[in-house]
Amino acid sequence: MIALAWRQHRRQMLFTLIGFAVLAALMIPIGISMRHTFTDLGLPECVRALSRSDVAPATADTCEGAFHQFTNRYGNLNLVAVLLLVLPMLVGLFWGAPLVAREVEQGTHRFAWTQGIGRRHWAMVKFGLVVAVTTLAAVCYGLGMSWWVSPLTQAAREGRLGFVVFDLQGVAPIGYTLFAVALGIFAGTLGRRMLPAMTITLVGYIGVRAAVEVLARPHYQPARTAEFPVAGDGRVPMNRGDWILSSGVRNPDGKMVAPDAQIVCPPDVQGPGGRPCGAELGVQPGAYNWQLYQPGDRFWLFQGIETGIFIALAAVLLYLALRRIRRLA
Amino acid sequence: MEIALEAEQLGKRYGRRWALQDCSFQLPAGRIAGLVGPNGAGKSTLLHLAVGLLRPDAGTVRVFDRTPYDNPAVLPEVGFVAQDTPLYRDFTAAELVRITGRMNSRWDGALARERLAQLGIPPKLPVGQLSGGQRAQVALALALAKRPRLLLLDEPVASLDPLARREFLQSLMGSVAESGTTVLLSSHLLGDLERVCDHLVVLNAARVRLVGAVEDLVAGHRQLVGPRHRGEPITGVEAVVRASHTDRQSTLLARVDGVVDPEWTVHDVTLEEVILAYLGEGETRASHTEWEVPA
Repeated sequence: MIALAWRQHRRQMLFTLIGFAVLAALMIPIGISMRHTFTDLGLPECVRALSRSDVAPATADTCEGAFHQFTNRYGNLNLVAVLLLVLPMLVGLFWGAPLVAREVEQGTHRFAWTQGIGRRHWAMVKFGLVVAVTTLAAVCYGLGMSWWVSPLTQAAREGRLGFVVFDLQGVAPIGYTLFAVALGIFAGTLGRRMLPAMTITLVGYIGVRAAVEVLARPHYQPARTAEFPVAGDGRVPMNRGDWILSSGVRNPDGKMVAPDAQIVCPPDVQGPGGRPCGAELGVQPGAYNWQLYQPGDRFWLFQGIETGIFIALAAVLLYLALRRIRRLA
Repeated sequence: MEIALEAEQLGKRYGRRWALQDCSFQLPAGRIAGLVGPNGAGKSTLLHLAVGLLRPDAGTVRVFDRTPYDNPAVLPEVGFVAQDTPLYRDFTAAELVRITGRMNSRWDGALARERLAQLGIPPKLPVGQLSGGQRAQVALALALAKRPRLLLLDEPVASLDPLARREFLQSLMGSVAESGTTVLLSSHLLGDLERVCDHLVVLNAARVRLVGAVEDLVAGHRQLVGPRHRGEPITGVEAVVRASHTDRQSTLLARVDGVVDPEWTVHDVTLEEVILAYLGEGETRASHTEWEVPA
């Protein structure tokens, strides 16, 4: 049976490997040059310095400047990172969806499933092989992207928990890839054609990923709040790399007066016409800035939860696919 | 007498439509049986049930006394060639022989290679590039190399030209004669079946119309020509299968069970005439209402 699976998929495997190699050949030089610049600008020291609470304001300013310089130079690469987000989905489309659908579409399932080993064995070997290959690819992708994207995330304020960068690195891509493949396989058992299966995979993958990302991920752990006065030195009691979920300015009674805004005035500065700072927005004396955030050190916890969710979904989908295969003829 | 394939009240439904209903018959081991019926009669459904691809919705089907659905223990003993002989088109014939061997325990790879060599099938060409007849031969060789006790063939010759059809059936007969394999072969080409089959299952509109050994069927039916018949019983006639009338005369195809009333002129019938008589039976009238035309 493994002989059949290997013979069927070896060309596809070769193309996948070539694709990976080309991608690596493009990304690795960029990654290396990005890291050189990162070191040359003294940013590793800055990251260490800014992670301490007693950082001197002068150092902080210099470092912000250097980060800015780095981001200006390499910030466009964030776009490349967004493009790479689709890789797990492509694996689902081209490895998952055709696995059963192609056999059924061409009628070869009637050949394969009437051989001595039976279709359950057939499905187990095929699923096992594809899951093994995609896990391996996803591990390489996750590790590679962690390495590649880390200068960009360190330079960006929101850090590794932010949208897109969170999805690119660590173990989460393993969950996404397995989910995409399982969704593809399951979609392939629903109809008798490959193209609808690919469409279902595409829509389903984007839908579930977006739903988890927007609706579930901010709530994996209770978010923390940070508060600091409007009239003050603007020192934010948060760390670089914290993931800000929402923010605004609240009056002393807790009422939100300026959602999605932050106001900082030096203590003795007055607004236009001698009014208190921010009075035109309805900010009363004693108002404070408010932020809801997930601390950056929860990165691995969140990665674990996210990966777990998608692996569980993948397991359910594979089980359903096995059940569906028993009903196909 | 060992029974190779047995169906009992077997039924399969797609949505609300029964593709096969109340299907009961026995196929004794060692027979070469034809499965006849027009397109859509349920032939493929019956074969898929017999090879365990489909689960029955009613009744049972047994292959050497075991239910085949989802039961891999039956599969090594059943050879199956599906309609249009689906094979992995980018595989070569040699690869197919090698890889199919890995999926079967009772495999005789030498047999397959010998057959294919004899038929002049190129071993290193993707089977997608072979002619339809050659591809059918590859599929048959793979099924025979399993050394099956029951061989199920779904319209194996439908897409072949007359010469390839004859060659295919000849080579099939040659191999099963040696091994004593039971064969169930579906087709809507009556002439082919008449040449090779010694047993017959006639399906029409999801039901079994006729089952039996070919010689019994031919011997048990007669064409009667006589005076205008209005449905009264005739001595020696068990049942009238099909009747056509003119004003003064009736021609009947009847199942006989004794000496027929001498009022009737009796003619022998061919297998084809018997089959056609039964296929005319049970045509649905519902379509008249659906088309909104008078029946």
